[in-house]
Amino acid sequence: MNFTLKIWRQENAKAKGRFETYKVENISSDCSFLEMLDILNESLISNKIAHPVCFDNDCREGICGMCGLYINGRPHGNDDGVTTCQLHMRKFKDGETIWIEPWRAKAFPVIRDLVVDRTAYDKIIQAGGYVSVSTGGVPDANSILIAKDKADKAMDAAECIGCGACVAACKNASAMLFVSAKVSHLALLPQGKVEAANRVQKMVEKMDELGFGNCTNTYACEAECPKLIKRSNIARLNREWICARVGKEK
Amino acid sequence: MNLPKIASISKKIVVACVGLFLLVFLLVHMGINLCLLRPDGGAWYIAASNFMGTNYIIKVFEVVLFAALIAHIIITVALQIQNWKARPVRYHQPSKSKTSTASKTMIWTGGLVFVFLVLHFVNFYFVKMGLVEGKYMIQTEELFSTELQNEYMAATQGKLSEEEVALFQSKMEKVNAIAVKAEAEGLSSNDMKWIMNLSAEDVKPLEGIVEGVEPDFYNMSYELFGNKVYSIIYLLLFVALAFHLIHAMQSAFQTLGLNHNKYNKFIEGFSWIYAIIIVLGFATVPVYIMCFV
Ligand code: HEM
Ligand code: SF4
Ligand code: FES
Repeated sequence: MNFTLKIWRQENAKAKGRFETYKVENISSDCSFLEMLDILNESLISNKIAHPVCFDNDCREGICGMCGLYINGRPHGNDDGVTTCQLHMRKFKDGETIWIEPWRAKAFPVIRDLVVDRTAYDKIIQAGGYVSVSTGGVPDANSILIAKDKADKAMDAAECIGCGACVAACKNASAMLFVSAKVSHLALLPQGKVEAANRVQKMVEKMDELGFGNCTNTYACEAECPKLIKRSNIARLNREWICARVGKEK
Repeated sequence: MNLPKIASISKKIVVACVGLFLLVFLLVHMGINLCLLRPDGGAWYIAASNFMGTNYIIKVFEVVLFAALIAHIIITVALQIQNWKARPVRYHQPSKSKTSTASKTMIWTGGLVFVFLVLHFVNFYFVKMGLVEGKYMIQTEELFSTELQNEYMAATQGKLSEEEVALFQSKMEKVNAIAVKAEAEGLSSNDMKWIMNLSAEDVKPLEGIVEGVEPDFYNMSYELFGNKVYSIIYLLLFVALAFHLIHAMQSAFQTLGLNHNKYNKFIEGFSWIYAIIIVLGFATVPVYIMCFV
């Protein structure tokens, strides 16, 4: 398959970026999107055309959340429930022009080309997205009873890999889906419940402080999340927030 | 100035509560509007507006309503400005994420609702406040007020000086002029209880003589919506209101944390139906008057 790529190039955080056009040819339809970019980069290097295109990635199996590109108007491209590394070129039409942009958000500044700085997410986690005492190793089965539906919901929320697609997709660059997933998976389990009221307040305060937008319940996040995190988590976050504020614990 | 920081979710919760209150208000307002359509010379409409205008609980709610509306606008605009700032560099490609148009256009449909409110205020509420001239009505029994009756008694008993009698007579002439006009033009309606459809010139002489001159919204509505341009502007702005409301109710539920797999479809459906009922209800009045009166 052949593609025309329009890729955002930006030398560093301060530089003014622009789109560059590259052509790639003879790409297998089984190629992943990142492999296709690898092929482009090899040719850019060996033909001494330009500095290779920088993009983030690590596991390349959809579990680390490092990769993330805004492809033709959709975070992680034109497929549902996958990360960019799991997106395949067969999802595109032969000869298609593909626009590739970095995540755009004030809280995720571009470092270079398609790489953005997502430390803001780490800061939100540091603000309270953990259980502060060691809960030990794997407990004996049934020593702590957890209802099946609670466990399922907690597991679903814990699937969030912190990729940032929710922020990238949201017209307000809001991080509510991410924060709600993190708040939910802890608040639903007995080990996390103890600190739930504290946690939700600290994480939301940090989220606001870092310059993410406010949720307007548009649900682009849910539509684009590679882990299919649901909007019901945002409602739970709101509930947790109301209960915590009414309790005034901090 | 260092304003106290209010967390994003807290602001949203205020917007949602206030929004739900506004939604209930719209239903009440719509109900009253539909009374306009009864061919009873405005009896029901006046009864309903009178209740709204005089009941003390409702009067308190009127203040709450204005505060709510202003709070809604200030907070949503502030949130929206933050939201724009949260993405200083925009995408080159337009978003292709699956979302609803109504949810993405809240600030614009809200803005159009605001335009509507301004127009609506100029057309109606400003008349009540005396800022704009409209049509007026007066209760027949108010016309011969207790004060005038007392003066009449005093005059017949010869207790008034000549000057006072002359003054009383000039007052009576003005009052009579209204009564005669009402008689001649058939202005009085609604079981002779109200003399309606009076112009500003008609009622001006009554100033200081009789109280209880009120804006005649009934006839103003018929006049306003008889004008096709106004009717069509109102109807177009109602379309914006429909979009705003379709997202508004379901969004408020989500903001308040009321999301449940079992009820989500119901909430969504209810939002649609509520929005459609409100907007069709409001639209009926201009459409009926424009087309059938
Ligand atoms: C009678 C008229 C109105 C009603 C019944 C109404 C109702 C609502 C409701 C229920 C919401 C959802 C709140 C939430 O999910 O938190 C909302 C959101 C919104 N309203 Fe209104 N509204 C009205 C007028 C306006 C006006 C005049 C503006 C003008 C700027 C406006 C701007 C907005 C915006 C921007 C939102 C989205 C805010 C967000 O979701 O964070 N609204 N409205
Ligand atoms: S909620 Fe989904 S889209 Fe957002 S960071 Fe987590 S995995 Fe990515
Ligand atoms: S590289 Fe790890 S999720 Fe894509």
